Parts: sequence; structure tokens; C-alpha cells
Amino acid sequence: MGLLENRFKDNVVVASLDKFINWARSTSPWFFQFGLACCAIEMMATAASRHDLMRIGMIPRSSPRQADVMIVAGTVTLKMALRIKKLYEQMADPKYVIAMGSCATSGGPYWQHGYHVLKGVDLVIPVDVYIPGCPPRPEALIEGLLKLQEKIQTERPLTKKIA
Amino acid sequence: MSDEQTKLIQEAVAKALAGNMDMINNIEDRVTRSKAKAALVKAKREAKKGAATSEETPSEEIVQAESPPEKSLNQKVAEAIEKKFPASLAGDDVDGHIQLTGANWFEIAHYLKDNPDFLFDSLQCVTGFDLGIENDLEVRYNLHSMTHNHTIEIRIQTDRKNPKIPSVEQVWRIGDWFERETYDMYGIIFEGHRNMTRILLPDDWEGWPLRKDYETQETYHGIVVQKVKDGWE
Repeated sequence: MGLLENRFKDNVVVASLDKFINWARSTSPWFFQFGLACCAIEMMATAASRHDLMRIGMIPRSSPRQADVMIVAGTVTLKMALRIKKLYEQMADPKYVIAMGSCATSGGPYWQHGYHVLKGVDLVIPVDVYIPGCPPRPEALIEGLLKLQEKIQTERPLTKKIA
Repeated sequence: MSDEQTKLIQEAVAKALAGNMDMINNIEDRVTRSKAKAALVKAKREAKKGAATSEETPSEEIVQAESPPEKSLNQKVAEAIEKKFPASLAGDDVDGHIQLTGANWFEIAHYLKDNPDFLFDSLQCVTGFDLGIENDLEVRYNLHSMTHNHTIEIRIQTDRKNPKIPSVEQVWRIGDWFERETYDMYGIIFEGHRNMTRILLPDDWEGWPLRKDYETQETYHGIVVQKVKDGWE
């Protein structure tokens, strides 16, 4: 959307197009399939048949190029932080990040004495939704993903941003 | 259990021990019969045990009096090392572990692995230790023999300022990663290791995290490493 993004004034046509684009984006946010620690197990459980992420339009993609949402599931070490940043930069716009679990949101149990742990993935990349829990249950992850869909629906991709 | 029942059981067991099983088998009540049979088994076992101890006790005493107390494996290993590599033992106390100086450790390791009496073919663990800011660093090796199914622990201390220990990576191949991990966490250099680099932490990491005097670096590639966040103890 690079050519069209934020180039139009507000009017009936553009407003409807905005809605259409938001509908398309929010109902098929494909997520980047990678996990860092135990949260990844819950993420797998969420994607499996009982909770079935596909019914809200989410499909795991193995390449950052094909993914819209990055779910940071697990402890981010300083060694991994650089790689996470690189993967985030490889994703195509529009891109969203979900910090899943207490490690990714704040460092979690490694808050104080984890010399090698990044104290929250938001120090490296921008985060859209934080999901608390250690690890969060699949229901909590789905709740977070629905919140992300709500957030996407409030965006105005085509119209100029009001300063 | 009623008195009558007890009496019946005692009688039946006495007869059965004498070789007559009819009375036990003819007890009508099922519970009583099973109790009687249990009592019979117990009585037979006790009779057997009593006979055995009365026979064996004197012979055991003779054996104990004749042979000297057997040497422990640690003592055997320590003596063998001292014989083959003089002055490589640090300390006489070999109870629990064997303390070495570190000199000739590579040759000693080869010897322990190949000697048919010991055959320590498996290095189970290599652990680093920090004995305190004022003291030395230590490395502990746990060896196991698949053939003899015995284990020993070897400990080697090394200077904190210039920690160097001969590598046994070429004796036990698993030592490759064990020693790299110990190097990663304590900065102990294993001389002779063919790839002495960090294994878990990134190569450009500063410091040795499991040393007592470790200070967390302030930034890592521009990322601020917060030590303690505000609002916590």
C-alpha cells in the first residue's frame, strides 16, 4: 500500500475504501510461525484443532515476507533480540507485533537477575498488543488477537493522518 | 479375631508344619482358612531363617577376621595416579573426590580411560565452580565406567587471574562442549582445546556471568540492559 498510503483527503469513497481495506487486513492476519520458549507450546495449542486459530483467519507462515503479525512467544535473550529486530525489519508493511507472556512484555521471571534477558521486547521493536500470563492460556492469546483485530479496524490506511 | 478362631489357626498350622495339610484345607470359613495359610507361610519362613543364621554366623566371622578392609575405588585410583604421575595429587584426602593439581591432567585422563582396572570411558559432566572472590576457580569432572559401573569425581583448582587447565576434549569428545560451556561461564581456558569459543552467549559478550564478581554490561549493541527496575526491592 506504499503508493496509496496516507495520500487522500477524507471523503465518502475513501472512507468506504478504508473500511474495506481494514476488513481485509483484520480478518486475515497471518502470523509468523516462530517460538522462543514455553509460550510457543501454548501458541501451538492455540493453532491446533481444539482452539483452531484458522477460524479467525490466522494461518502460520514460516517466512517473515508472508507474515502480517509477529507473535513474540517466549523469553527474548539479548542474543535473540538482534535477530528478532532483523526478522521484524524483514516483514512487509503493514506489520503488527504481539508480545505474548510475561517474558516478552517485561522480562518476567528474569526481571531482576536475568543478565542475558531483554526486559521486554518493546525495547527493540514496537508492540501492538501485550498478553499477560506465564504462559497465557490459548483463550488469552485469542483474546489478544481479537484486540489486535479491533485495533486494525480503527486504522485509516488511505486518508491523511490528523496531526 | 475371636479366641476360637486363633486357637483353630494355631492348631492347623502346627499340624501342617508336621506334614498334615488336611486340617487347614478343611477349615470351612474362607477368611479363617486364608489367615491360617498366611500364618503357615510365615511360620515356615521364620523356621528357614532361623536355620540359616545359626549355620552361617560363624563362617562370616572367620572371613572378616582374615581379610583386611577393602580399599575404596577412590583410594585405588589415587594410588595408581600417584604411582604413575608423582606429585600430581593435591591433598591426601580422597574421600568423596580426588583433588589434582592440574599438571599432566591430559595424560592422567588418558591413563584413567585406557587402564583396564578403571576404564573410565564416559565423561558425564564438567562443572565450573567459583570458590569466592578471594579464592580460586575450580573445575569438577565426573567420570563413569560402562564396563565396571563405577564413578569418581576429579577436582582441579586453578588461579583466578590466569585460569588455565589442560583440555581433555581429545580424550572424551563430549568434553568439547562441556569445556566450551565452562569457558563461557567462568572464563577458564582449556589449553589444547581445538575450538575454545563461547557456546551459549554471543561471541562479543563481555565478562564471565557465573563468576561471583560478574558485573552486567550496561549496553549490548545499543540495547540498554537494565539491572534492577525501579519499584522493586
